Amino acid sequence: MHRLRRLGDPYVVWMATLILLPTVFLVLLSFSDLSFFRPGGFTLTLSQLRVFGSPIVRRSLSNSFLFASGVSVASFLIGYPVAYLLTTLRESTKRILMAILILPLWTNMLVRITAWERIFSQNSIFSDVFGFAIPILGTAGAVWIGLLAMYLPFMILPLFSVLDKMDKRLIEAAKDLGANDVQTFLRVVLPLSASGIVSGFIMTFLPSLTAFALPETLGWRNIPMIGMEIQKQFILKGFEADAINQGAVISLSIMAFSVLSFLLIAKVDKEGETLL
Amino acid sequence: MKRMTPLKFAFFGFSYALLIGAFALLYLPIVIIFLLSINSSTRGYNWQGFSLEWYSQLLFNFANPSSDLVLFREAIFNTIWIALRSTFFATIFGTAFAIGIHARDKKRRLRMMVMNNVPVVNPDIVTGISLMVVFSLLGFALGETTVLLAHIFFSIPYVVLSVMPKLKQLDPHLYEAALDLGCTRLQGAWKVIIPNIRTGIIGGALIAFTMSIDDFVISYFTSGVDFENVSIWLYTKMRNPQNLNPTLYAYNVLIILITIAILFTINRRRDKKEIPA
Repeated sequence: MHRLRRLGDPYVVWMATLILLPTVFLVLLSFSDLSFFRPGGFTLTLSQLRVFGSPIVRRSLSNSFLFASGVSVASFLIGYPVAYLLTTLRESTKRILMAILILPLWTNMLVRITAWERIFSQNSIFSDVFGFAIPILGTAGAVWIGLLAMYLPFMILPLFSVLDKMDKRLIEAAKDLGANDVQTFLRVVLPLSASGIVSGFIMTFLPSLTAFALPETLGWRNIPMIGMEIQKQFILKGFEADAINQGAVISLSIMAFSVLSFLLIAKVDKEGETLL
Repeated sequence: MKRMTPLKFAFFGFSYALLIGAFALLYLPIVIIFLLSINSSTRGYNWQGFSLEWYSQLLFNFANPSSDLVLFREAIFNTIWIALRSTFFATIFGTAFAIGIHARDKKRRLRMMVMNNVPVVNPDIVTGISLMVVFSLLGFALGETTVLLAHIFFSIPYVVLSVMPKLKQLDPHLYEAALDLGCTRLQGAWKVIIPNIRTGIIGGALIAFTMSIDDFVISYFTSGVDFENVSIWLYTKMRNPQNLNPTLYAYNVLIILITIAILFTINRRRDKKEIPA
């Protein structure tokens, strides 16, 4: 099939145009006074970095980091036992439960956010039907639960996929060689699921780090997060001088995390088998 | 059956509790969406009794729809039309790219797969602003075309990821044999490779379609002001949820049902194939 190798070449050009080119341009916008709407002469400057001096940007960054770390750790603590449990079930049960797990992901994320908004309201269809209310709209609790509900499946899926493929005879071998349950888990199962763990952390950490519609709707302005700031710079304030440049600065700081994630993925799972 | 150690017993009990909790967390909003779709209230805040009003409004009211419903229908049309086109192109390009990548030597192949993972791993907001920036730079006006290009862009990697494992299972000699028997390179690909990786292509197309239908963030940043899909339409309404037309929930429930039907059919067909008669 070697003769078909040229078929992949346009892909490299396409990716370079749509990934590399904008990244270079974002870097340029971040470190210069280049105008996004009237590109022309510019001088290099570090003055756009002043956006990090803004208290709201700082608060958003630390909130996003806190929530993203918390959500990914919580997803891992819940997701690992769940994924492991699923792999021990009968093949047919396993398949049905996985389908049930994936199905909610095929509901528009924004519609699910509006549903959570109703659930967390004092007086809503939720309290009418269930007879009690969870009025936590506009608090950190609402954002925690909302983010966890939104991204937990992205932890379970890659973990399930590596655990399910794992050769179960290795566990028996460890037992035969005298390891107890805890030792078997820590020295055999856990290391063999490393690629799933890395994918799971990345797939929950990055989206919660950059979420904006969810914290906006469930946390109001009380829980500012960095996605909201990026959106503010690019869409709401887009036409003001330097707004896009400063948005680019914030985006680059976020992109540092995605670059880090890539390097990790490239190390443990080059072919992206845990990403689907 | 072997007796469980107390530790194992505790672990499985705990895991079942977590499993139930996780499913509750995932399905609570779905239940609420379903209830809102069959609630007679126009504002959708409180439960005011059963009604199929919103389904009939959405599906049958073409005589005098409210201006809101007209806009919503337009958004639905845009969403589906974008999804169909982006799936079509992403599936063709993604399959061709996957075949090309697979044909490379190991080192190059891994390098290209790492590149393929970039849009999958990148947060939507980063992809969204990158595309917005590059489209403006290349002189495109933001609108339907840029949204379509963006959807093709984020869908292709999923098609590649879905097709690649099937290519690996394929016996490379089959293709060589086809060429020896007189096929041209592309004929060989069409007659030998494509039929054998069909399930991967169909799976990739399904993922591409659902990703496109549900996308919000990337569409939002690449759409400019004149083009709305369902997500963007909803986002502009979310600031005043009391103005949200409940036909949205009916639409959403219908989408869920269609998804279940598709999944079910595929599963059935796969089962039939796996169990030889």
